[in-house]
Amino acid sequence: MVGLSEGEKEFIKGGIAQDLRSDGRKRYTYRPIYVETGVIPQANGSARVRLGATDVIASVKAELGKPSALQPDKGKVALFIDCSPTAEPTFEGRGGEELSAELSSALQRCLLGSKSGAGAGIDLSSLIVVEGKVCWDLYIDGLVISSDGNLLDALGAAIKAALSNTGIPTVHVVAGASNDEQPEVDISDEEFLHFDTSGVPVIVTLTKVGKHYIVDATSEEESQMSSAVSISINRQGHICGMTKRGGSGIDPSVILDMISVANFVSRQLIEKLDSEISAAEANEEDS
Amino acid sequence: MAAKPGTASTTYSPVDPTHKTKPSIFTDSDWVRPDSRGFQQCRPAFFRTGAVNSASGSAYAEFGNTKVIVSVFGPRESKKAMMYSDVGRLNCNVSYTTFATHVRGQGSDNKEFSSMLHKALEGAIILESFPKTTVDVFALVLESGGSDLPVVISCASLALADAGIMMYDLVTSVSVSCLGKNLLIDPILEEESCQDGSLMIACMPSRYEVTQLTVTGELSAPNLSEAMQLCLDACAKLAQIMRSCLKEAASAAEE
Repeated sequence: MVGLSEGEKEFIKGGIAQDLRSDGRKRYTYRPIYVETGVIPQANGSARVRLGATDVIASVKAELGKPSALQPDKGKVALFIDCSPTAEPTFEGRGGEELSAELSSALQRCLLGSKSGAGAGIDLSSLIVVEGKVCWDLYIDGLVISSDGNLLDALGAAIKAALSNTGIPTVHVVAGASNDEQPEVDISDEEFLHFDTSGVPVIVTLTKVGKHYIVDATSEEESQMSSAVSISINRQGHICGMTKRGGSGIDPSVILDMISVANFVSRQLIEKLDSEISAAEANEEDS
Repeated sequence: MAAKPGTASTTYSPVDPTHKTKPSIFTDSDWVRPDSRGFQQCRPAFFRTGAVNSASGSAYAEFGNTKVIVSVFGPRESKKAMMYSDVGRLNCNVSYTTFATHVRGQGSDNKEFSSMLHKALEGAIILESFPKTTVDVFALVLESGGSDLPVVISCASLALADAGIMMYDLVTSVSVSCLGKNLLIDPILEEESCQDGSLMIACMPSRYEVTQLTVTGELSAPNLSEAMQLCLDACAKLAQIMRSCLKEAASAAEE
């Protein structure tokens, strides 16, 4: 919980109105992003993203499973977010659960696309090993270590970085199994397949404080928000998902305005994130 | 049941749930919707207030095959464990009956609906008008026929109005599905299962304010603004239907 005096509240709101926020940023400037990849050796891919004092880890684990009967030609992806009480005492017990569920469903909407698969960041048909029999189940887990606002953007970036760090072992199917049997597979521990993560969208959250909206709000700024819209945008500038938080209503024209701002900001964010991810991967290989 | 003795009795399912391949008609330019509606035509809406006697207010809504019942309890005393609050609390819960979906018990997939309903309604309710107390909104989806959440949201705001909870405006909600190049308003289950993208808007039509919106899947910017306008227009029309339903109920009570 953020405790602010009336004066501090006015200071934050006044700063945003004058395009100079309390930490010296402009309204559409992000805090510096630091990306580290391969932080969890047990996982197939992992990344840690720091955005100011916000610190999150995402890990990707792949397990062999059976595709669902409804979509025999696609793998499965599950996404969970955990808000640890180490980040904030209010996350203990139910408090964290509620936020975790909210973040998970927002990320699922923003990253996994619709039912037909359009707009998804991950190509599910690349996860199939034997159609209808064997596929990869991808478990994406996010963990909030420290929270200073803008969790959704940070988690989105961490998942993008973790996916590009993920190597899925190549699988050789042993030939000769009859149609009804579960085919035998041989998992290679040397060859790995990497994802094409260029299609994974980034999430830009615009937080409305007073008349203006800002990107990458700190938790102090978030406590003053009237509403926030999270927009996920891919490299082509297409919108892949959108959610709104906060109680008060927004005029529809403002939403369209927000989308064009998010489009502009997302281009810079994707560029920044790409260079950070490749730097992190180079760093990992050196060490 | 005319099942012959000896044969293994299988449960009857009205629609084969494994049939999920995209019908070719969905890709053609001149296909017709399964219920022969126009692309920009909503299903006929039916509302009735006062569906549950014991509740402070309740409403029943029926959009094609989607049938929803919402009851509102309170304002009543908040639970002891809750801290003092000088504004009222809103508690929302959306549940599915086990027989609401083709596959039994599938409705529990929609866990986030409760929080989505809460977010859609909280901006419209004047919470200051009932300090220290809680209003409970319980929604039950009797039959899921597509666009469940928008129907739940509209029905819940009608139930709140029936309960006499002070609101800035009624909240109405409509969703649009994007299939190929076409935008379909108020999609049914079959259309939802093969959509490329979808947009749901909950708004207060008289104030022209959006209280909740979600986009799933890919939508281009021009498509999005067209879909938004389509939703907002439909929301305004839906509000008229809901208003006339409330007026009818009020005039019937006077007589």
